[in-house]
Amino acid sequence: MADKSDEITKEVFDHLVDLAEFELGGDEKNYLRKELNSQLTAIRQLAAVHLDEDLPPASHGVPYDDERKPELREDRWEPFPESRKIIEQSPETEKGYISVSDIPHTELK
Amino acid sequence: MNLCDLSAFEVRELLKKRGASAVEVLDSCLARIRRVDGRPGQLESGELTAEDGQKVHAFITLSEKTARAQAEAVDTQLAAGMEPGLLAGIPFTVKDIFCMEGTPSTAGSRILANFISPYTATPAARMLAQGGVSLGKVNLDEFTFGSSSESSAFKPTPRNPWDTGRVPGGSSGGSAASVAAGEAFLSLGTDTAGSVRQPAAFCGVVGLKPTYGRVSRYGLIAFGSSLDCPGPAARTARDAAMMLQAVAGPDPMDATAAAVPVPDYLAELEKDIRGMRIGLSPDYFRITIPDPVGGYQEMPVPAEVERVVMDAVEVYRSLGAEIIEYVPMPNTRHGIPVYFVISRVEAASNLHRYDGVKYGHRTDELARDLKEMYRKSRGEGFGVQPKLRILMGMYVSAAQYSEQYYRRALRVRTLIRRDFDAAFDPDGRYKLDALLTPTTPSTAFPVENVYGDSVLMQYSDQLTVPANHAGTPGISFPAGFGADGLPLGAQLLGPDFSEHILLRLAHAYETATADADWRQRRPAVIQEAANG
Amino acid sequence: MADFEAVIGLETHIQLNTESKIFCSCRADSWEQPPNTNICPVCTGLPGVLPVLNRRVVEKAVILAEAMHAEVQPVSHFDRKNYFYPDLPKGYQISQFDMPVAVGGFMDVPVPESADGKEKGYVRRVRIHKLHLEEDAGKTKNAGGVRLVDFNRCGVPLVEMVTEPDLRTAEEAAQYLIRLRQLLRWLGISEADMEKGNLRCDANVSVRPAGSTILNEKTEIKNVNSIDALRDAVNTEIARQVREVESGGEVQSWTLEWDVDAGVLKKMRSKETEADYRYFREPDLLPLEISEDWKEEFLADFPERPLERRQRFMEEYGLPEYDADILTQERGLSDYFESTQGAYGGDPKKLSNWMMNDVLRLVNERGLHPGEMELMPGYLAEIIKLVDSGAINATTGKSLLEKVQETGKAPGKLVEEQGLAKMTDESAIREVCRVVVEANPEETAAYRGGKEGLMGWFVGQVMRETKGKADAKLARQVLEQLLK
Repeated sequence: MADKSDEITKEVFDHLVDLAEFELGGDEKNYLRKELNSQLTAIRQLAAVHLDEDLPPASHGVPYDDERKPELREDRWEPFPESRKIIEQSPETEKGYISVSDIPHTELK
Repeated sequence: MNLCDLSAFEVRELLKKRGASAVEVLDSCLARIRRVDGRPGQLESGELTAEDGQKVHAFITLSEKTARAQAEAVDTQLAAGMEPGLLAGIPFTVKDIFCMEGTPSTAGSRILANFISPYTATPAARMLAQGGVSLGKVNLDEFTFGSSSESSAFKPTPRNPWDTGRVPGGSSGGSAASVAAGEAFLSLGTDTAGSVRQPAAFCGVVGLKPTYGRVSRYGLIAFGSSLDCPGPAARTARDAAMMLQAVAGPDPMDATAAAVPVPDYLAELEKDIRGMRIGLSPDYFRITIPDPVGGYQEMPVPAEVERVVMDAVEVYRSLGAEIIEYVPMPNTRHGIPVYFVISRVEAASNLHRYDGVKYGHRTDELARDLKEMYRKSRGEGFGVQPKLRILMGMYVSAAQYSEQYYRRALRVRTLIRRDFDAAFDPDGRYKLDALLTPTTPSTAFPVENVYGDSVLMQYSDQLTVPANHAGTPGISFPAGFGADGLPLGAQLLGPDFSEHILLRLAHAYETATADADWRQRRPAVIQEAANG
Repeated sequence: MADFEAVIGLETHIQLNTESKIFCSCRADSWEQPPNTNICPVCTGLPGVLPVLNRRVVEKAVILAEAMHAEVQPVSHFDRKNYFYPDLPKGYQISQFDMPVAVGGFMDVPVPESADGKEKGYVRRVRIHKLHLEEDAGKTKNAGGVRLVDFNRCGVPLVEMVTEPDLRTAEEAAQYLIRLRQLLRWLGISEADMEKGNLRCDANVSVRPAGSTILNEKTEIKNVNSIDALRDAVNTEIARQVREVESGGEVQSWTLEWDVDAGVLKKMRSKETEADYRYFREPDLLPLEISEDWKEEFLADFPERPLERRQRFMEEYGLPEYDADILTQERGLSDYFESTQGAYGGDPKKLSNWMMNDVLRLVNERGLHPGEMELMPGYLAEIIKLVDSGAINATTGKSLLEKVQETGKAPGKLVEEQGLAKMTDESAIREVCRVVVEANPEETAAYRGGKEGLMGWFVGQVMRETKGKADAKLARQVLEQLLK
């Protein structure tokens, strides 16, 4: 594919991967970067769409008027009956805590 | 005729009259599954065999024991003269994007392969509460990311029952395939860009995307939080109406589930459609084809795709509906680009929680520190499709690009919504009750043909995704076949909370075409099952 | 420091004392509970869960906004703040970014005169930038090379309130926090206990030449756990920045932590590498609409603010600032004072003295709630009137406080039943004095020998003999005569 503009360069890509917190193999990296740039060619079509200044963004397509909006929740304690089943899903626990590797050290002044 | 090939409504009537038992119905489905489904999807599946290539592979987890217990309970209640519910004794499948207590709820991903949910999603719980019999979890694109179900980490991935060399569509491929193959009567799927409607069209069944907020999303493992809609895959409009009746309505666990009363969908189904205004939009008869060098061409939809819709137009005319042509929906073409942005931003955020800490896959390798634990766990656990979506989502919502990409996309979304508002405005120019369009630009494509080209794959949703942006409902129903013998669907789109109208129109079409020759055809796997 | 002034802003996180968490129905308070027992699928970020907003959380936040004279926004929005941390189960925090529940506001903080009397007391107006709602994260702790995570606290409702950089000294900062804590308890919206983490504070500190109006680079001191720690940390940081600037260096925008044991500041991470949180509207929640009708419902019994009442007590009752401060410290005690004054009708300063000394001691010793005491305001008023009129003496009056609290009986009744009326009969007193003098020849001799301080002891003996009822003045006069 001819690169019209490699908007997502190797540096930008590596930074994104860093932010996304996952490790990639070499093949994956090439494939992903290529697909991202390919998708951007579709996304860039939006730049040409005329938008009136007062055109608002839509976080939801469907409007929620007073009749459609559900009520807020009443302030009542209702315990979840099987909290231990939640913790049982964790790969590693210790005395009721969930256990993970330690955080990279903070600097001392 | 096999019990498993009846409609859900017919089964319900049969059970009421005690013409069969729920256990017998279940056994019929299980026999079909044994015959046509083949190996369920699994993580370490090894090489695919020749036999694999002949099967449907809809399932990830088949729950035979619990299904039997549920069926027996229904029989007991029926014998005691009780009314066990709207879906009493009807076997259904659930797309494995829904959490169900005590079952593996995998999202088709390695990262959740070992996750046993401690709670049940509201729509699934409602189906069970109405006496439905849960057969188990069916396969899908990983985290619903895709339009072919090929991206699942659980292989073999589902195949189209009409031709197992073709995809069933996606992401609710297992849902549509299980219903089309006679394995289940109903399936609970999700539609984020067309993921119920497109596989329904590919598999020759009915697929309904309700209005956003019509059905609770609690328990739906999230992809696009402002786009996801749980919805039924079924064999007939009436069956889809039955299922929607069971699952629709507000839920205290979902703050976006609308407080709109649920009509009696079955009662609404048979009402007259005379005088209803059905629109046609030229913007839905044109499609964008991405070419291999990054360009985009606009072309008319293939002739056979247009033909089935125009045939449906004639049917509606003959039933007394008014057809209104040339309804502009000019922002339809922006649907996919907007989707690339909005859905990815939401997906990237929704997938943050898969970090190996609380559940799901954590790396076995020794991690020096937390960051390494995250990176290895997520790197190992996520397939390529989630990674692609996460990276794009992070890019277009980064502080320096957010205005240019994310906010812009949200504003174009408003334009897409306004197309629908204008078409359906009762005081507007067109005053439509529904818009009739093709569902997909083609019949089901061959396995592995499109997978890998993420742009081409996404564009198969271009006729369905605008309704997701607008939040409006849509239904796909079988409308004929392509030259290759694969099903083609037609789609009806309607205003907010007009599911009862869409179902009525689909039902009217079904009734009027009940004797059509093409309705005699059967999926290849069923024919083979009948023969062998 | 003559050349420099400090510029300080405070960010406080306030845990609201609702019954349930902000987005789920787990308890909002789990201080004592074993780890991971106050959790549910929603607050642990399981796949497929959704947040549902607690109505009472909004109401308490609006009550605080009103109390701070802030503008409550009729529509506000929730946003996702995305980052990775083990105590953040969803990998994002639901917060409010650009459209918070309230903006603006202020508090006029009284700053007392300095200990050495050199600096007079004054009032510092602290303006508020904004108040917003968000959910709390869980807790982690280090345990031998691994990190242990507890989600009990995930989803506890927080109000984050950010001031403008209007504070100029560490003492002002401390006073703001003290007044805020008082206000939160007064309004009944938070326990505001810093040790339990109900009230957390970060300080932003910078320095500039005195009189300048520019804002220089600031550092952030995080998670200061007490008022004293805040004072110390801010003072330390101001001194450090001044040293830095005076030696020609530049202050960099570090994030710092106060090590309370060592009494030093530690650098946490450089602000330059601060994460991009990729804020976007939370799609699982609808916009928050706060209507006038709804506000009317729960603001109907909005109380007088503590600082306003403090001012009023000084003006209306003519009380000194010291008294007004103590009497408006806590709302229950303050309401009690006013009720009593209403029943008493006498000199408020007299009542104040009774309250500040004996009543407060009773309340504190026994851990009583003023509003729930057996010693009701009407009874206290009665006791004071009895002392004022001379029907009983002051000592009896004080002992009546306890007696009424213990029995719940009216003071008048107790005086009658136990014969507590002041003994004023001179001949009876004379008789008791005579007995005391005779019974204590040594002390008598010592007094006559010049130890006049013993008079107090003699009076005490007479009071003991009369079970406190004797008129002390009269007893003293008689004793003076007898011991001449």
